[in-house]
Amino acid sequence: MDVSGVLEAHKQKFKSIAVEGKLIPVQYDLGLLAAFDENPVDTAELNRNKDEYLQALSRDNAQLLFNEIFQLQTISDDNGVMAMLPTPTTLLPREKPLPKPKPETRWEKFAKAKGIVNRKKERMVYDDASGEYKPRWGYKAINDDGTKDWIIEVPAGANPMEDQYGARREAKKERIDKNDKRRQRNMEEAAVATKMDQKAVNKGDRPNMDNVRSMKRREIENQILISKSSTASAGKFDASIKGDLKPKGIKRQFESTITDMSKEKAGNMSILDRVVGKNGEDLVNVRKAIKSTKSRH
Amino acid sequence: MRPLTEVETKTFFEKLAKYIGRNITHLIDRGDDTYCFRLHRDRVYYVSESVMRKATSVGRDQLISLGICFGKFTKTGKFRMHVTCLDYIAQYAKHKVWIKPNGEMPFLYGNHVVKAHIGRVTEDTPEHQGVIVYSMTDVPLGFGVTARSTSDTRKMEPTAIVVFHQADIGEYLRQEDTLF
Repeated sequence: MDVSGVLEAHKQKFKSIAVEGKLIPVQYDLGLLAAFDENPVDTAELNRNKDEYLQALSRDNAQLLFNEIFQLQTISDDNGVMAMLPTPTTLLPREKPLPKPKPETRWEKFAKAKGIVNRKKERMVYDDASGEYKPRWGYKAINDDGTKDWIIEVPAGANPMEDQYGARREAKKERIDKNDKRRQRNMEEAAVATKMDQKAVNKGDRPNMDNVRSMKRREIENQILISKSSTASAGKFDASIKGDLKPKGIKRQFESTITDMSKEKAGNMSILDRVVGKNGEDLVNVRKAIKSTKSRH
Repeated sequence: MRPLTEVETKTFFEKLAKYIGRNITHLIDRGDDTYCFRLHRDRVYYVSESVMRKATSVGRDQLISLGICFGKFTKTGKFRMHVTCLDYIAQYAKHKVWIKPNGEMPFLYGNHVVKAHIGRVTEDTPEHQGVIVYSMTDVPLGFGVTARSTSDTRKMEPTAIVVFHQADIGEYLRQEDTLF
């Protein structure tokens, strides 16, 4: 039985899946299910019948995209046949700006100038004494700076009664403190450098220590101001200290020159009540009253 | 020109109350017209509302003075009274000192008042009390602050200072340009 005629008739009902007339091949990013048609739009056709032209164009491009998708490798499971999408190739722009390079510490700067390269060392080191691997530094480290030696030779010229263990512990503590100070300084300088002109930093300008100090000062002043206004009355009724900090940028507010006179009068009266009351001036002159009662007796 | 702030009003009234006490009420609440206190270039002016309203049309730089100058705020925020307010505080003064004719000239030249020049004093004037100085003919000459209470002055020598000079009407000539 020849069914080619029936198939042909059935096929005639649909448009061809082949699309022609694309001068520039359409680009695909199948990972995003996207196709990019860079062919110029036929403006004359577009002006004549816009809707039909646009519909035809999008149908053609969609057809091309589906043709590509149908060529992909497929897998089939209970949900049906699925195409395996490749990873997207289109690069989307970054949402946030690139992070700024970290300001160098003093040591990093020095090492760069001298050409000192940091070589990686293993974290764990073999300890001959115990026959175990121990961390190079930190908790239970192999190098305990001689504080765990069971015997210490008294150095030449040293006081024999001096505690050598204590001296070593002291020396270690000093080294730690010194390093901590430097770390602190690096952090302060880095904080200023991030606020400095980026060009100056890139050029290698070290943040001025005056800047560091002034920034520190500003921070402390800020904290003082915050603490001052952190009382129950927001600092309103606190006794003012001479030479105390005043918050900057707060403008004084005055009543307007022409105001409600009765209100102003009432305000003045209430202030007067407070003032005169404070002076202890009463309706009765106490001194005079005492005198007159005395003279009467 | 602006109204005084609460702190300024307090400082001002405290000074004024030394001389006239509660009688400040009569300055604030007058029967005849509405009067108010206005600050202009650190000076406090006692001015009627109508004049004040008219003065608002004068620029700050152009406005020299308005109403009666009661005194000025110093740079440290204290209030200093000027002799220009004498007429008002003399009306309501609580404590007064009258000086003899031979003491008038020394006082008007800016000197303190010595005991020898005192003609009369209000009874029971306490120490450091603001007083108005009058001539024997009841003409107000200025004001000052008592050095001693009335009872203490009796024991003092004739040359001892009884009233410290604050302001006198001689200032109208001596400080003509800065007074108003």
